[in-house]
Amino acid sequence: MPFLRRLLIVEWSGLAVAIVLGSVLLAVLTPNFMTEYNIYVMLRSFCVGLLVGFAQMVTLGVGQMNISVGAIGGLVAISFGGMMEALGVPLVLAVPLAIAIGALCGLINGVLTARTGINGFIITLATASAFTGINLGITEAIPFYNMPAALVAFGDERFFAFPYLLIAPIIVTALLMLFFARTVPGRQLLAVGGNPHAADLSGISRERTIVLAHVLSGGLAAIAAVLAVAQLGSAQPSIGADWLLLSFAAPIIGGAALTGGYVSVVGTTLAVILIALIENGMVLANVDPYWVQFLLGALILAAVWLNRWRAVKTGTD
Amino acid sequence: MVLTIESVSKAFPGVQALDGVSLDLKPGEIHALMGENGAGKSTLIKIITGLHQPDSGRVLLNGEPVHFASPRDAIGAGISAVHQERNLIPRFSVGENILLERPPTRGGMIDYDTINRDARKWLDMLDRGIDTRAEVRTLSVAQMQIVEIAKALSLEAKILLMDEPTASITEHETAALFTLLKRLRENGVAIIFVSHKLEEVFAIADRVTVLRDGKNAAVGEPMTTMTRDKLVSLMIGRKERIAVLGERNADMADVVLEARDLSTSDGHRNIDLALHRGEILGLYGLVGAGRSELARAILGGAEITSGELRLHDKPVRIRDMHEALSKYRLGYISEDRKAEGLILMHSVRENIAITIWRKLAGFLGLISGARESRAVEPFVEKLEIRTPSLAQTVGNLSGGNQQKVSIAKWLAANAEILIVDEPTVGIDIKTKTDIHELLGEIARDGVSIILISSDMPEMVAVADRILVMHGFRIVGEVANDHQYETASKAIMACIHAVEDDEPTSAG
Amino acid sequence: MSETTGPASPVRNRRPFLGGASGQVGLLAIVAIFWFIFSTLAPGFLSSFNLYALGRSLAVDIVIGFSQMVVLATGGMNLAVGSIGVCAVMAAGFLLQDLGLPISVGFAGALLLGGALGWLNGFAIVKTGVNAFIITLASASLFLGAMLILTKAVPYNGLPPEIGAFGRARLFGIVSPLLIIAIAIGAALVVLYRFTALGRQILAAGANPRAAAMSGVPVDRVIVISHVLSGMLAAAAGLMVVTRLGAAMPATGGEEWLLPSFLGPVLGGTLLSGGSVAVIGTMIGAALVTTIRSGLLVLQIGNFWLQLFLGLILLFAVLVDRYRSVYAERRSVGVKS
Repeated sequence: MPFLRRLLIVEWSGLAVAIVLGSVLLAVLTPNFMTEYNIYVMLRSFCVGLLVGFAQMVTLGVGQMNISVGAIGGLVAISFGGMMEALGVPLVLAVPLAIAIGALCGLINGVLTARTGINGFIITLATASAFTGINLGITEAIPFYNMPAALVAFGDERFFAFPYLLIAPIIVTALLMLFFARTVPGRQLLAVGGNPHAADLSGISRERTIVLAHVLSGGLAAIAAVLAVAQLGSAQPSIGADWLLLSFAAPIIGGAALTGGYVSVVGTTLAVILIALIENGMVLANVDPYWVQFLLGALILAAVWLNRWRAVKTGTD
Repeated sequence: MVLTIESVSKAFPGVQALDGVSLDLKPGEIHALMGENGAGKSTLIKIITGLHQPDSGRVLLNGEPVHFASPRDAIGAGISAVHQERNLIPRFSVGENILLERPPTRGGMIDYDTINRDARKWLDMLDRGIDTRAEVRTLSVAQMQIVEIAKALSLEAKILLMDEPTASITEHETAALFTLLKRLRENGVAIIFVSHKLEEVFAIADRVTVLRDGKNAAVGEPMTTMTRDKLVSLMIGRKERIAVLGERNADMADVVLEARDLSTSDGHRNIDLALHRGEILGLYGLVGAGRSELARAILGGAEITSGELRLHDKPVRIRDMHEALSKYRLGYISEDRKAEGLILMHSVRENIAITIWRKLAGFLGLISGARESRAVEPFVEKLEIRTPSLAQTVGNLSGGNQQKVSIAKWLAANAEILIVDEPTVGIDIKTKTDIHELLGEIARDGVSIILISSDMPEMVAVADRILVMHGFRIVGEVANDHQYETASKAIMACIHAVEDDEPTSAG
Repeated sequence: MSETTGPASPVRNRRPFLGGASGQVGLLAIVAIFWFIFSTLAPGFLSSFNLYALGRSLAVDIVIGFSQMVVLATGGMNLAVGSIGVCAVMAAGFLLQDLGLPISVGFAGALLLGGALGWLNGFAIVKTGVNAFIITLASASLFLGAMLILTKAVPYNGLPPEIGAFGRARLFGIVSPLLIIAIAIGAALVVLYRFTALGRQILAAGANPRAAAMSGVPVDRVIVISHVLSGMLAAAAGLMVVTRLGAAMPATGGEEWLLPSFLGPVLGGTLLSGGSVAVIGTMIGAALVTTIRSGLLVLQIGNFWLQLFLGLILLFAVLVDRYRSVYAERRSVGVKS
């Protein structure tokens, strides 16, 4: 069955099928699913998740990980909100500053891992705690509520079922696809992840590439945080606290190689859509929200198992 | 001189890899670099390509001293290399791998059309059958090697280093490569060519530098003054290295391990062999002949697809090393001491006792350090392992003493059958002789040994009988008379006989 | 076959943070310095009640650290310690309150469940060959989700009063029996790693799995056993919290345990790359964590800055350790650069 085999090789084909089947099922079973408002709600909740997944995806691509994605998100969210509410920084200036803060956090992660050669897990576990500590120390867990009206409107308004919030992830997705497919730093990032030794011998600076991946990761987490603030209408210190699992689930379910060197922007996007669909289905079906937690874990394990199986099947381990 | 190496030295923990090595390379020559495994060839290549930095000595490029801190610097200075290790990005296309150093861009974006066109140009010189758009991970080993070579060529460097480029490609592809190298030579490119195959060196090289135990055995000798025998003796050193071991008393009536018509999932076909009590059975073959893989298959590392493995005349299937040791008293000394033989961060005592912890356990399953030391000490003494104490970290011992530790653990385990894979690679001559004598002694004590080695003098000195392997088959048996001339000739005759039969077989 | 002279993998002695037994003394000295600072700034720090409370939470921190340490020894990790802990907590609540089983049976059941969940982790890791990080990240979510679905996140408040009484018990006025238990577990682990074949095999498999397998060590089996042990230790830590609260709360454990579980072993000198454990180091590392937490509380700086302190301490510890090992390598190889 060559068609089936081809489908097997395209990592995200299974996801696309699952999404279509799931949507049809939900549309048939729950009348509320296909309403304009429900689709808007779903698309809106998808925005932050996608960027969180991307933030982890770029570090997985270079063969690293970033435990501090959520902590960076939280720190950026309160800095973003704080600088607007307490310091009166205008929105147009606050957004780039917020992204710069995220990138700076990523720079710290990157330099610490690349320079010392210490396992990225333990470094980012430590910085995650430090970033969260700064966040909580500054805010004492009290949110900033007075966000500019323009930001709140951006997070709230829609064109039929299309939330304006979705514009940001669409642009980022396109840029990331271009980055990984067609730019030299993007390819170098994947080359270092795919075979660090070979990348060395080909004159690619491993250190610089790892730092770049972490800076990108921090920047993407920051964008996710800005969107989260827009969506919630306030800068909550708890933003990012529950991102860890999602950040790994999305790229891994999307087919990223755990050992680095391969990521799929499309796959990650589809994975986040699937997760949003599951969450939405749970809400519509009035199921215990705890099932989401359970299913997300099960989904990761299934994806990991499927990847192994596919590698054995196609003989491309 | 385009490149000059001036008495370069380099040490790694426990081993002096290079000791005052020199080499000079002229434009428009093919310079062979030869030596046995562990002689230091790869280390020298890695120094020239900036992967390692020399402890002392100088590297001069066009007469100017240079210091390569990384491969980037070397590439920038016009040096390109085919390394021994696989250096491709598995998930990238063939074309992108070939042009990885400097991908062509248009408007800041990578230009895949140009990549495919340029890569095609280089690939066509070697093999028209490889698609530049294919992902590297889908290629065969030989195809990957071709891609590696095309990648090195595409840099159009003035200095080209080739570390065993023909190790896994066909004779046809080798011929194409040689035509290409000769053309590059005419264009003034300086080429360093590393190979184990004498025929190739005689076919293509202008001069030869030989390394032995990290030192120069010859520097830039013209090939016209070289004969096969002279080259071999330069590589392996003095003939008297063949120590005469004491008589052995193998019991040829007692077959302890036997393979009958064995085929494996690794590709071995119709393997027949019999190992007798107290015998040292040599398994000779060039790299890639399937010797280590056969050892793995016996120990459960590969599936036995047909035929039979018998121990003490009973058919057996060994699942893994744990079973091999605990049920059948089989031991294996890996060729890769650092990765598979030893636990470098643990002590001498623990590394030897690892095979006998279960036995040492006493009351409540507890092991006392004193008990462990008592069990280990006799072997440290017997093997003359030079270590300040049993608590010394094995990683801090010399290569020879490390190897003795990895032998000691099987003696401690009281193994009945030992498979010893390249026991003296990268070990100094004195210790090498010690280990040879030790193997003889163990065999006299009734242990049966399968010795895997591509070191011909070692084989001739140590083995009782020699089975010759080629292409995952056993192609002949040589009754060892311990005379280097006759025995080595007989062994090579076995290999040449098959090579003549299969002209297209991979080396 | 490659030549044996490649870049030698760094040869590292099993050297705890700040070096050898002297490193543990150094760590202990740091703990002492903090004690001095806190007791000077806030005399309440040395009150018998505070010392007692400190010892009680130290017990939990120690056992959480152990449950991570036993898998770090194999070169793996277990992100599910918190999830397994809370599963055991709620299982104990169910067995004691809903089924009315005797305390010993209920606690044994909880420990067994912890071991079983650990076994699932180990089995999945060994069978799929996927790294422990991903498997335990997913299973952490799976276990926690399952627990919440089954219990509806309703706490068990009606446990037998003896449990709470045990948790409140004081020996010699200031020592919690929980601390004695934690120390006893530590002693048992010392015996395991120093004096048993299994313990030695675990360390060998962690340091170099291929070499260990080639020497006849059943590597897969010792990895699974380590995960079972980790699960049981996580369950034990959970049960300690149950006795402290006198109730089984669904908010126990979870992600809150993740950082402390790594802090103790890493501060104490357990290598993340496997092959070494530092049992006493882990206990002292946990003491540092508990001391800082308690000190900040007494000083009324509050928990908000705690995370920052812990993160910086972890960072500092791994950086110092890294610097030391690079220095030691240079010295032993004689590299001039």
